[in-house]
Amino acid sequence: MNPWLRATLFPAAMIGTPIAGHAVVYLNVAQAQQAIFPGAGMTAAPLKLTAEQKKAIEATSGVRQRDDDVKAWRVSGGGWFIVDEVLGKHEFITLAVGITASGTVKGVEIMEYRETYGGQVRDPKWRAQFVGKTKAAPLKLDQDIKNISGATLSSRHVTEGVKRLLALQAVALRG
Amino acid sequence: MKSPDPAPPDGGHARRARPLLGTLVEIAADAPPAVFTRAFAAVEKVQALMSYHDPASELSRLNREASAGPVSVSAWTGEVLRAALDLAAETEGVFDPTVAPRLTALGFLPPTAGAPRADGRATWRDVELASRNRVRFRRPLRLELGGIAKGFAVDRAVEVLQKAGVAEGMVNAGGDLRVFGSVEWPVEIRHPGQPGLSAASVPVCNAAMATSAGYFARRRHAGKDVTALLDGRTRQPLDPDTSVSVMAPTALLADALTKVVFALGPASETLLQRHGASALVLDSHGFRAIPPILPHAT
Repeated sequence: MNPWLRATLFPAAMIGTPIAGHAVVYLNVAQAQQAIFPGAGMTAAPLKLTAEQKKAIEATSGVRQRDDDVKAWRVSGGGWFIVDEVLGKHEFITLAVGITASGTVKGVEIMEYRETYGGQVRDPKWRAQFVGKTKAAPLKLDQDIKNISGATLSSRHVTEGVKRLLALQAVALRG
Repeated sequence: MKSPDPAPPDGGHARRARPLLGTLVEIAADAPPAVFTRAFAAVEKVQALMSYHDPASELSRLNREASAGPVSVSAWTGEVLRAALDLAAETEGVFDPTVAPRLTALGFLPPTAGAPRADGRATWRDVELASRNRVRFRRPLRLELGGIAKGFAVDRAVEVLQKAGVAEGMVNAGGDLRVFGSVEWPVEIRHPGQPGLSAASVPVCNAAMATSAGYFARRRHAGKDVTALLDGRTRQPLDPDTSVSVMAPTALLADALTKVVFALGPASETLLQRHGASALVLDSHGFRAIPPILPHAT
């Protein structure tokens, strides 16, 4: 049987269901910590960056450091775990980056992915509705997750985010 | 929470995602973390071997050295290259893994450092894959497996999950996805004109689906919008407002065949059927399935 026979096709009038608003929560903080540093203990080490530190991070990484507040954890046995957010053109991604004591990337995990169109992603109020959700992320996920075929957005912003966090560790997280 | 019975395909699985292959690779499966890690490791291995951007990859080494003499590559790189060359032969160059210099000219790919200048006449016919995965280029050229390696990576991740005894799951590398198991997974296809909308919802069961479209990979070139999708014979970019989805038994096939359908349209029907595949083309005129189906009431 032709597999497309069972497709639900939305007519050219473009009344398809929105993908915008598509959101997936992958991991909460504890799960991301275990995924990158299995079995390691974590000590919260939140940090407020100074204007000089932000400037130094930007100079090293070539990427703008927006936030002053850094959600960082010190890893038992050495290294750092940082939770951060990156903004793309249409997407808002929360990611976790593990950095070894010697300043190399141990692992990167996507914690949350939110997609929208029409500029909402630049609106702090739109983003604020998701902040803090990661902490309470369920192990199993919502029923309305969409599986999408069709190029997702490039991971360039995530790559830049990781670069920025490496610079942040070198500038502001020591020991 | 996992619902009792029957489990909806995307409600009962843990999901993980990592930035790999220049996109987000997502895995959904009811599997322990160690199995997720191994499945991602397979994708990482494909990236390490076949990345065009990484100077340390086998592919980059080929581009630097294979025009001077044979270079041995790993079984995986050999397998993907064999599939790419077979499809190039079968399509008489519509699918051509040597179009990279054109993509560099259009601004989609960076130049390769330390490689001899590519010969403008070079095509897939100048790539020799001999026994024991020895590769030689007859002229300096740029091999690029982006149109097929992503699908191969999805297949390898699925293989890891299945070998670990996972009954059902999905691996999705930026829209090139494969599902396995007995349940159907609803898959949304983005509208090529409005990628924030779904143009079609398709149930997929034990199959792969890949979509190629221009919405997130288009640039202005010589006064018009172009995509990174080229017809290998003419090296001309294809319509940026069209989307092609292919359903096939493997993600490698689905991924590679989207480019062929893009270039050939309905003329790709025989080829698709030979591979147990079919396609859905979306453009400003509407929908077209290849092979055709009766018009679907909407």
